[in-house]
Amino acid sequence: MFKQIKDLAGGEIYLITSLLIFMVFFILVGVYLLKLNKNYISLMSNLPIEENQTQGDEEA
Amino acid sequence: MQLEKFTYDNKIVRNFGLATIIWGIIGMTVGLLVAMQLFKPSMNLGNQYTTFGRIRPLHTNAVIFAFVGNAIFMGVYYSLQRLLKARMFSDVLSKIHFWGWQLIIVSAVITLPLGLTTSHEYAELEWPIDIAITLIWVVFGINMFGTIIKRRERHLYVAIWFYIATFVTIAVLHIVNSFQLPISAFKSYYVYAGVQDALVQWWYGHNAVAFFLTTPYLGMMYYFLPKMANRPVYSYKLSILHFWSLIFIYIWAGPHHLLYTSLPGWAQSLGVAFSIMLIAPSWGGMINGLLTLRGAWDKVREDVTLKFMVVALTAYGMATFEGPLLSLKQINGVAHFTDWIVAHVHVGALGWNGFLTFGVLYWVIPRIYKTELYSKKMASFHFWIGTLGILFYAIPMYWAGFTQGLMWKEFTAEGLLKYPNFLTTTLQIIPMHVLRSIGGALYLIGVIVMTINLAKTMLRAKLVANEAAEAMPLAEVLVEDASDKKWHRKLERKPIKFMVFALIAILIGGIVEMMPTFTIQSNVPTIASVKPYSALELQGRDVYIREGCVNCHSQTVRPFRSETERYGEYSKAGEFVYDHPFLWGSKRTGPDLHRIGGKYSNAWHFNHLLDPTSMSPGSIMPSYQWLISQKLDTTTTESKIRAMQTLGVPYDEGFDKMANASLRKQADTIAKDLRQNNINVTSDKEIIAVIAYLQRLGTDIKANKSTIPSNQ
Repeated sequence: MFKQIKDLAGGEIYLITSLLIFMVFFILVGVYLLKLNKNYISLMSNLPIEENQTQGDEEA
Repeated sequence: MQLEKFTYDNKIVRNFGLATIIWGIIGMTVGLLVAMQLFKPSMNLGNQYTTFGRIRPLHTNAVIFAFVGNAIFMGVYYSLQRLLKARMFSDVLSKIHFWGWQLIIVSAVITLPLGLTTSHEYAELEWPIDIAITLIWVVFGINMFGTIIKRRERHLYVAIWFYIATFVTIAVLHIVNSFQLPISAFKSYYVYAGVQDALVQWWYGHNAVAFFLTTPYLGMMYYFLPKMANRPVYSYKLSILHFWSLIFIYIWAGPHHLLYTSLPGWAQSLGVAFSIMLIAPSWGGMINGLLTLRGAWDKVREDVTLKFMVVALTAYGMATFEGPLLSLKQINGVAHFTDWIVAHVHVGALGWNGFLTFGVLYWVIPRIYKTELYSKKMASFHFWIGTLGILFYAIPMYWAGFTQGLMWKEFTAEGLLKYPNFLTTTLQIIPMHVLRSIGGALYLIGVIVMTINLAKTMLRAKLVANEAAEAMPLAEVLVEDASDKKWHRKLERKPIKFMVFALIAILIGGIVEMMPTFTIQSNVPTIASVKPYSALELQGRDVYIREGCVNCHSQTVRPFRSETERYGEYSKAGEFVYDHPFLWGSKRTGPDLHRIGGKYSNAWHFNHLLDPTSMSPGSIMPSYQWLISQKLDTTTTESKIRAMQTLGVPYDEGFDKMANASLRKQADTIAKDLRQNNINVTSDKEIIAVIAYLQRLGTDIKANKSTIPSNQ
């Protein structure tokens, strides 16, 4: 199976670069998530539910 | 600040809902017809407009762009207004969007049976319709961003990110995959050729699944599921992680549709690696959806809309687990070109897209009519018959896929193919195809029951076309407190910047994948003996495209012993450099045709096209008798040659003027050969061109075998 990843006649560079780009991207998103505060999370997740309260008669 | 009073536009939601239902029934009925054609050739109805090759694209376009497309717009127009506490930006744009989209679908319904097709899967519509799609998509974008800008809710909920990503990515995919050189009102050639064309097409094809069938539906899931269950999404953090990872990773996975083809090996491996990674964000979405129902499973027992949602999410989970598995080369080697793939996509289409759409319809329609659903029993019946339909569809197709995939590869103890006649493997799975069409019929019955139920619901009350609402306006200047300086929170308030970030995330994958193949010559090794098609062969190729032959016949021999034994030398990248478009196909209902050239006589091809069963007893291929009576349109030859020259195909200078003379000469030779075999047909008929094309296929490299480069 690893032959498919190893024997690429010089094409390995594309794979390695791609994985590195993704790793960096993923770590950035991860770091951002860890720093999020709780109030904000609860505010955001309640957005679709709370709309009922401001809209009066929407859902009787 | 005072509360502002405004109204939600429910009429546009209702209209998109109606269109969803009507096109759903049409698209699925056509699906049932094509399913039956695969075991009963008479269902091709004996005329050229209803053969499998022409109406299979009609089925796929109708269910993807008409059924799912309208459902997306229904869901977006309903949820966007409410999440942003604002009416849609412009009623006029909403109407243009609605009618424009329906008109595009109608034009597809007319042009596809006429054989006007580009042959790129899920992008078959010709260039004028491509332009119309672009315009209407922009109208949708303006309407959506206009609404976002005039919103009364500062924060953009995660569902809206999915809508924004959908909008921008589909725009990019559609434009890049529509670079065509028009040669007449409804005929064009792709700018890309061969391997490059294949890469662009499957980058598009795979991401049409990602950004048309997945991201907008995830957006709808994130809005409607919490509403239905009346509780917030399980983890908002997970939704952020899932969103960015999903759109970033998805865009790279396209090459898994081209494993073992002549696409450069690194690009194939890249596609596989990212496909495996894709399990994580896909399951992140499924888990987030299912866990939203934690503590609310008692509701699932009673509420039919939630039942639909649960099955939809489960189907999503199964399809997104299976997708990465199918992208493993070892599994792909067996599964590709078989019904396994058909089963896989239908678990997604019937389960995920279909059931989520039904759930949303059952939920939205009573609400915008301010009434109760007409019959819960009918809805429950729909749920069960629909689920049964999916099982009856998928299980036989898996069975058929395994069976045929393994039969193609089976050798006898003497080292010969056990089933050298391809047809044996097709006939083996006929019972499975019968069962599959029963599954499809059950599913369609469910949809008809739903239609009656929803129609009764609509008739018992009046549409609340403009639903009153009120909300505080947004403060002019945003005052940010100390804890409010995180980039994403700012980003999520600024839709245009958000779109740009999403755009960058999806462009990275596309660029890394495509640029080397386009710019580095060694990535597509050329072969000296490969020459452009003759004028007659080019015309024949266009008839082949018109008839949709590519829907059943691939043109790429994979480097397996089971394939080189059956078909001949495996396909090389350099053989396709003049193929605008590529015609590798994705399904083998019939055998591969890349090495068909010179395998049979002209007379064999003539008789086979006239009546396939005369040459292959039991064949399920329809008869193409009109090719014998219809004259080949040679008025286009000159412009076709010139277009090819523009695209870099090395015809001699001035060949366009002599093209028809050379075409007639070659046609006369074939007609003469047929006459010697007691077949009387004049040389100006379409069948002559098709035979010329088929006899040319894959023969160039036979001239000089020693100089053929490998694909690596």
